[in-house]
Amino acid sequence: MIQKKICMVGLFGTGKTCLVQRYVHSIFSNRYLSTVGVKIDRKEVQVGDQTIKLMLWDLEGRDGVRDVNASYISGAHGVIYVVDGTRPETLDGVYDIRNNVTSALGEIPSVVAFNKTDLTDSWKLDESDETGVGTRGMHGFRTSAKTGDGVEDAFQWLAQATLKNGGK
Amino acid sequence: MAVAIKSFGLTDKGKIRQTNQDNFLIVDIRKSVLIRHTSLPKEALSREFGSADAHLFVVADGVGGGPRGDRASEATVAALLEYASETVDLFNGVDSPNEQSLFDRLEDRVREVHQALLDEYGRQPGQSPATTLTMVLLIWPRAYLVHVGDSRAYVRRGGELQQLTRDQTLGEYLISSGTWTEEEAARSRPGALLSSAIGGPTLEPTVGLIDLDPGDSIMLCTDGLTKHVKVKRIAELMENAADVEGVARKLVDEALANGGTDNVSVIVVTAVQ
Repeated sequence: MIQKKICMVGLFGTGKTCLVQRYVHSIFSNRYLSTVGVKIDRKEVQVGDQTIKLMLWDLEGRDGVRDVNASYISGAHGVIYVVDGTRPETLDGVYDIRNNVTSALGEIPSVVAFNKTDLTDSWKLDESDETGVGTRGMHGFRTSAKTGDGVEDAFQWLAQATLKNGGK
Repeated sequence: MAVAIKSFGLTDKGKIRQTNQDNFLIVDIRKSVLIRHTSLPKEALSREFGSADAHLFVVADGVGGGPRGDRASEATVAALLEYASETVDLFNGVDSPNEQSLFDRLEDRVREVHQALLDEYGRQPGQSPATTLTMVLLIWPRAYLVHVGDSRAYVRRGGELQQLTRDQTLGEYLISSGTWTEEEAARSRPGALLSSAIGGPTLEPTVGLIDLDPGDSIMLCTDGLTKHVKVKRIAELMENAADVEGVARKLVDEALANGGTDNVSVIVVTAVQ
């Protein structure tokens, strides 16, 4: 079976672990437990007539740290950058992290998850923020780990993109 | 940077239980190559032989109240000891594709023990002996974790103690799914039931990893420690973590002094510069 390593990256508290929990286990918790190191989950997805095993590397997001441990992302086939739509600074953080990832891995399929869309009253991003990621070679999805909106689409798109990008 | 891995493990049956169903294991795995003389540059040597050690640390807590919990924890620890000899090919570093293979092999071994227990004792809930498992395979600087049940692994870095594992209990599951609050889980006895165990009705190993820095410590323990010693106190007792034996003894002593109602096992590991 084809395996693809997908890294979840982003600043502290953006919802990386919640997105994986929603996608893999269909659950959501309001309780915040920070990830230490890397937590790895797996999920098999169907893309056309091929089954892909996604290895989801959920990387710790550290407060104020806009770098990423190069050894954790080594060999990744795709990246999901997670932005908290109620905290615009987390989008700036993603751009910094993206530069580091690209330096280490070159251009690989990338999704930006504009997460926490359920928090409509606190949403701080505007349309240009969301379309802006497209000009930087990434594909944006609005997601809510709480309701599940957009989550499946984001992972499925990335799975498909990694397959198109080749390398088995 | 040269780093020495110091470790010490300890187990005690506690003050109430008649038997000790915990088991622990510390293994240093070495591939020894002695170079007498060479014209090769130092960099080439370190690439080939630079990280020739691996270390395996395991704690397993046989489920009390069930049949032969000691058998389950023994079988699990023994199976991982056998696994240790298979890791020799990984000593020169694990590249990305092989990393998945390492996890797969570790998880396969855990599932084999689980299956063997079910085959031997039966598949009905409560028939088979069951155990928790928390293990770390350290191939410096990377620590690979496999975890089942409510034993725990912590990392101490820069004076801060952080939990690496999440308890696999009914209470934790119901909190995670939003059904219970933490207070409700703490009040409820069923909250402590394992939602995943080797030999139990459900097995869902979780895996993860962390790259360690010199000076970091890892502590593995069974719940005989954490039910009697609060995390804040554990952090205090781990302050001089380079003294791995002293810290392990202090942790176990404190668990016993605070009631010792369960078997307690502790492994303390420190990367010393």
